[in-house]
Amino acid sequence: MPAREGTYGLLAEFETPGDLVRAARQAHQDGWRRMDCYTPYPVEEAAEAIGFHRNKVPLLTLIGGLLGGGVVFTLQTWISVLAYPINVAGRPTYSWPAFIVPAYEWTILWAGLSAGFGMLALCGLPSLYHPLFNAPNFRDGATTDKFFLCLEALDPKFDLIATRAYLAAFKPTSVVEVDY
Amino acid sequence: MDTSHNPHAKQLPADLGAPAFVDAWKTRALMIGAIFTVIAVILGFLGQAQDGLGWIHFLRAWLLGTMWTWGLAVGGLALLMVQYCSGGKWGLLLRRPLEALSRTLPVVFTYWLVTAIFADRLYLWAKYTTVAATADALKSGLINEIQAHCLNFKRPMLNPDEYWGISLACFAIWTFYAWRLNTLALKRESQGPETTPYWIKKFENISGPGILVYSITMTACAIYWVMSLDPTWFSTVYGLVFLVAQGYLVLAFSIIVAISLSKGEPYKTLLRQTEQHDLGKLAFAFVMLNIYLNFGQFLIIWSGNLPLEINWYLDRIRGNWGVIITLDFIFHWVIPFAMLLSRDIKRNKKRLVRVCQWMVFARAFDMFWLIEPNFKDAARNLHFSWGILEYIAVPGAMFCFWLAYFCTRLKTRPLVEVNDPHLAEILEPEHAHA
Repeated sequence: MPAREGTYGLLAEFETPGDLVRAARQAHQDGWRRMDCYTPYPVEEAAEAIGFHRNKVPLLTLIGGLLGGGVVFTLQTWISVLAYPINVAGRPTYSWPAFIVPAYEWTILWAGLSAGFGMLALCGLPSLYHPLFNAPNFRDGATTDKFFLCLEALDPKFDLIATRAYLAAFKPTSVVEVDY
Repeated sequence: MDTSHNPHAKQLPADLGAPAFVDAWKTRALMIGAIFTVIAVILGFLGQAQDGLGWIHFLRAWLLGTMWTWGLAVGGLALLMVQYCSGGKWGLLLRRPLEALSRTLPVVFTYWLVTAIFADRLYLWAKYTTVAATADALKSGLINEIQAHCLNFKRPMLNPDEYWGISLACFAIWTFYAWRLNTLALKRESQGPETTPYWIKKFENISGPGILVYSITMTACAIYWVMSLDPTWFSTVYGLVFLVAQGYLVLAFSIIVAISLSKGEPYKTLLRQTEQHDLGKLAFAFVMLNIYLNFGQFLIIWSGNLPLEINWYLDRIRGNWGVIITLDFIFHWVIPFAMLLSRDIKRNKKRLVRVCQWMVFARAFDMFWLIEPNFKDAARNLHFSWGILEYIAVPGAMFCFWLAYFCTRLKTRPLVEVNDPHLAEILEPEHAHA
């Protein structure tokens, strides 16, 4: 893919999560879709404000958990019944109570790994470059104490002059233009 | 209360008392309770005519009802102490309902008295109190050799005097804690916000040791009241199984109460989705812990496969009881687990209430499986009789009457504690805290 050039979007900086959520909610209501919020810690309401009501992480976790539990239960059954049947204290070879504990552990393990790695993959991580790091105030504040709303140039409503005025109406600390 | 720091904060209504519809709950509970009572009496006569076990089933079902309501009252007291130690906005939300639960102890005490008075019909150790009586019973085939041995061996612990003494002492201890926490809560309300740090420490200092005392006393009673129905069997995790089941039951019940109260003020203002979600998650944790302990107990005994332990499970699996334990597993774990896994259900008032109602029922179903197979006529032999339906009617009636009393307790004091720093936080709009 050739390097993109030009404006990535307009970045508004807010002091509090409340201000960010109000601005984001309004922008989403006004028809903005190519937009994102950036906060130093998870603010669920910000995600909801821009239309992220659900994501695929729970589904991935469920599938991972079921797979993990199913795989290891089947594995134990195969070993104990078919591959290497041993008489343990006269119990049947298919002694399911004994298989539950590893199956349970593997359910947790696989669900946890699926949640973690699934989340990273769905977020598009690892990513080596993001245009927003061109903005100095973003670099300094996004992981400490500032809250950002970015309206992206790909949105059909985007217009450099009008959008800057639109963002300024939310009374942010600053609005900066970010290049690719 | 000073809310000036946040212009978006909600305002509490002037009247913090329980809404009027709590009285309607009470009336409804009393009516349903009366219907269940009539059914229970009819079933008693029917069962008596059928196999002569009608009234004895009535008594066993009474024991189930006692354990059910006892779990709510004492479990409520325990959760009250836990939230004083842990803090958190969910604790403030549930504080008054939990206090009301702890004040239902008198009802539970009267319920228990009936089982204590008729103890010789329920417990073998209360029927055969001497070595001679045990030998006679063995000779006439009323008990088997293992039972006779266990009765004689365990008599220093399992005898009526000890049973009365320990049970009464436990009730006295719980009453003391319930009284102390309830009266101090009112005293705290009558004082200003400058006293808050003192009260937080004070309640922590009472509740911390109180949780320990509760665990010991409730273990003792779980052993005396239920586990000793089968004098031959023992499990070291038994107290913990009951403790976790109480957490399961009390959380489900208090979620129902909090959400139902939110149809009117002041809970309408107080209950936010955030805390509802938190409570759902906490209930989910108890669903998990509950199956963990129950399965752990089973797995250990299954692995050991010792004649003195395994019979307890065989009594509860063979002879059609396998159906009940399978259903119990589904009712008690699969359904609440699958439902509470969903974030949407935890955040939906109506659906969360449905799940929690199911959990309250599932707890009673689980105790049916624990209690009924202890008796000779039912062990390894689940069969239909009119008497067995008492397990629906009697606990149903007892629960309804207990619930009516709970409603009156709920009405006796304001539903919101004002002298608590969590109040300002819980009145903030949900995204402002983030």
